[in-house]
Amino acid sequence: MKKRSYRNPVGVGKYTGLLLIMPFIIGSAVFTLYPFIASFVLGLTDSDGIHFPEFIGAENYAEMLTGSEFLGAVMVTLKYTFILVPLKLAVSLLAAVLLNAEIKGIGVYRTIFYIPSILGSSLAAVIMWQFLFTSGGLAEQVTSFFGLPPVGWYGSSGSAMAMIVLLRLWEFGSAMILFLNALKDIPAEYYEAARVDGCGRVRAFFRITLPLLGRVTFLNLVLQTIAAMQEFNAPYMITGGGPMKSTYTIGMLIYDEMFRYHNAGFANAVSWAFFVLVTAVVLVLFAVTRRRREEDE
Amino acid sequence: MKRFFVYLAAIGCITALSACGRVSSDSFTPPDGSLDKCTLRFSWWGGDDRHEATLAAIKLWEQEHPDITITPEYGGWDGWTEKVSSQISGGTAPDVMQINYDWLVSLSPDGDGFYDLGLLTDRLDLSVFDDEVLSFGRMNGKLNAVTVSVSGRGLFYNSDTFSRCGVAYPETWQELIALGSRMNENGCYPLDLDIQSGGTAWYLAVVYVQQQTGREFVTMDGGLGFTEDDIRMALDFYKELEVNHVIRTVRERSDDDGNSALYQSPSFIDGRVGGILEWGSSVGKYDMVLPEGVLEAGAFLHGDDGKEGGWMIKPSVLYAVSKDTEYPDEAAAFMDFMLSDPECAAVLGTSRGIPVSYRAEEALEASGLLSGIACDSDELLSELDTVTISPYMELPRVKELCNSAIEKISYGRSDTADAAKELYTSVEEYLKKVKK
Repeated sequence: MKKRSYRNPVGVGKYTGLLLIMPFIIGSAVFTLYPFIASFVLGLTDSDGIHFPEFIGAENYAEMLTGSEFLGAVMVTLKYTFILVPLKLAVSLLAAVLLNAEIKGIGVYRTIFYIPSILGSSLAAVIMWQFLFTSGGLAEQVTSFFGLPPVGWYGSSGSAMAMIVLLRLWEFGSAMILFLNALKDIPAEYYEAARVDGCGRVRAFFRITLPLLGRVTFLNLVLQTIAAMQEFNAPYMITGGGPMKSTYTIGMLIYDEMFRYHNAGFANAVSWAFFVLVTAVVLVLFAVTRRRREEDE
Repeated sequence: MKRFFVYLAAIGCITALSACGRVSSDSFTPPDGSLDKCTLRFSWWGGDDRHEATLAAIKLWEQEHPDITITPEYGGWDGWTEKVSSQISGGTAPDVMQINYDWLVSLSPDGDGFYDLGLLTDRLDLSVFDDEVLSFGRMNGKLNAVTVSVSGRGLFYNSDTFSRCGVAYPETWQELIALGSRMNENGCYPLDLDIQSGGTAWYLAVVYVQQQTGREFVTMDGGLGFTEDDIRMALDFYKELEVNHVIRTVRERSDDDGNSALYQSPSFIDGRVGGILEWGSSVGKYDMVLPEGVLEAGAFLHGDDGKEGGWMIKPSVLYAVSKDTEYPDEAAAFMDFMLSDPECAAVLGTSRGIPVSYRAEEALEASGLLSGIACDSDELLSELDTVTISPYMELPRVKELCNSAIEKISYGRSDTADAAKELYTSVEEYLKKVKK
């Protein structure tokens, strides 16, 4: 059989496609793949980030698993993630349902609800947040207005964690946008048919809306879980990881070991352990939601 | 494509190790004896008083040397070590840097972490410094840095707060402890100690024990000088200060001020906290936020038995030149200007403490600028038998271990005996690891 040949109208060769995506490949190789590999290698050394390191095998990993610092930071990170993510999904879904209403000026409301997500990631907002909860701050004024005793936000483990959770909860905009987009895709006929059959709004939400948002809920769950596990800015700026390391996340541990204590080998080993942990958590999420996702499909 | 990534992975593994071995003693640019047109980067940390004075000094330099412009990089102390050490490891350090004493041990243990200033004496006049002062900046026989000022932490009090409470500044430890309950009746505290980057809580406890025992917490060669009992005595002393309301507990302090610096907190600005323990070279930022003349230097506390020692001094800040600089002559000339130029000294005043350069000190004296609370405190300190702080005591990990022990006993998570045992073991192990 004669092999079919195609005339190339613009004279490009066999490798043109590859050539065109080379900027991306080179960029990824230099700025992602190389640091990724280098990080693993450095995790097997006693590098201080400045002098030539010595190979020490899995010593950093052994130190990580036998010391209390890493395990403590893992527990804090998981606790923070398990508190924040469900709350954030609930709040963003509620906001999306409210903003899905067809009322005049809804675009303005949507913008207003999204603003914290833009502001929240800025340093200025984090600093402002810090001052809201100090003695005499807005939080204390609100509690005293209602005749409640002042809460010491920074001094106790629970309230310090609550401050950070509240900051990140405030930034529900990106999850809300995904929910809002999915809500738009649900045909109005479903709700009309349900109404004709005597189904109320609440029941329609649980029987129609929630099941049809299954896929986007899972997407949000995975994205928010990964983001929460990588938390660094808020505890670093607001609580400094305290009190008693109760807000000391893995991100802070890596930063301190790398830049404060010049323990680059250990910091890189922790980064790899962290990578494995995040992967494991995401795989667990996939596993526990597998049946539900298959039903949706 | 698969083969490409395999090669890349292999290259990555090989170069990963070499990426961390940038330091090499023969990679620096040698001096050429001339001052060429260039732009130098100069970095420092400090409070607003230091920033304003330094920017004015840079302006003066640029008027005299229009060909050599200076790009300033400055900020507060928190996070500064991390910033500069990442610049140094990345080969992007500023040409001239204000450095802290412990950076010599952590960043240049072999003397190759900074430019050898001994090679730049054509531009840098070292004859205006004492040999002992110069020895602070020497690592492995190489002059890595030059001390700007030698200073110690002293006690400074808000005179308004003390007048309002009707009490006098303490002179002994016992008087300080007695002040707690009296000032607390007015909602005030005689002193503030922190377990953040300042670490003044552990510092004062160390002074107390050094005064009692005559032993140093960490020796100059990096050995642990305190026994486990000494450490327990330090922790007991700290707890006594809390129990007697001399200071706020760690929890009260956190609830009041959050994570912000004391000089920016309402507790200090409103005068609820009546005293601080601060370096003479850094007290300006506290002085600036209170009405003029309100902050005053207090006595260095001693025991009823008359023991006065134990108070510490160290090079408060030093200047170093990056080993990666392309302009060593120009950097040395600028450094010399900042250290010893009489006009510059008058502009800088005591924003980095009292200069140890004879020429700069004479210029300050002639201008009548050797006054103020930093000078008062330094004068009192000079009359005492002081201990020079070991740079190993300043290492961030050592500070963190000590702060952690203080936090545990403050929160009641540990008694002083257990905390002392844990601290003794962990500091001893860490110092051994550092010196290895």
